[in-house]
Amino acid sequence: MEIDLIFKIAAIGIIVSILNQVLSRSGREEQATMTTLIGLVVVLMMVAQKISELFELVKNLFNF
Amino acid sequence: METFVKAAAAVLIAVVLVTVLSKNSKDMAVVLGICVCTMVLLAAVSFISPVVQFVQRLQELGGLDNTLVTILLKAVGVGLISEVAVLICGDSGNQGMGKALEYLASGVILYLSIPLLTELLELMQTILGEI
Repeated sequence: MEIDLIFKIAAIGIIVSILNQVLSRSGREEQATMTTLIGLVVVLMMVAQKISELFELVKNLFNF
Repeated sequence: METFVKAAAAVLIAVVLVTVLSKNSKDMAVVLGICVCTMVLLAAVSFISPVVQFVQRLQELGGLDNTLVTILLKAVGVGLISEVAVLICGDSGNQGMGKALEYLASGVILYLSIPLLTELLELMQTILGEI
């Protein structure tokens, strides 16, 4: 079980959250939104691989 | 056993991380929750695999029709995934989507059971016909 992925996603989430706050408070709302979206896309791509792996395993195991 | 302890520890740590993230970044918290659920399910399915093989062996020994066990396994698979997905929807505040998925899963399981129910109906007709 890869626990590293959990920590990576949490770290990206915290960094994005901090950047969002910093950019918002310095008046750069659009850049803050872009940063959040990019962080979300990166994290979703990481998670999508795992979800795909899970569905493939379930498909093979339960004879879908 | 080591996998279970790792998974339990990971889930506990993830709960804390999700709580921290949800204050400032709810979307990331949801994605982290999905990631943790996926990884624990992957571990769970790897343990279920020998159980499924055992069930298939029982089916061979008992001389049961292969269709019956296949339907049963498919229903279990659908139930497993839908249950977790519905709860994730609930966690993120989207109960409506979760409910819709629940209905879809129920419909799919009923659809999968049609051959079983048809066979049961024919058996009942045969029994009633003999009476």
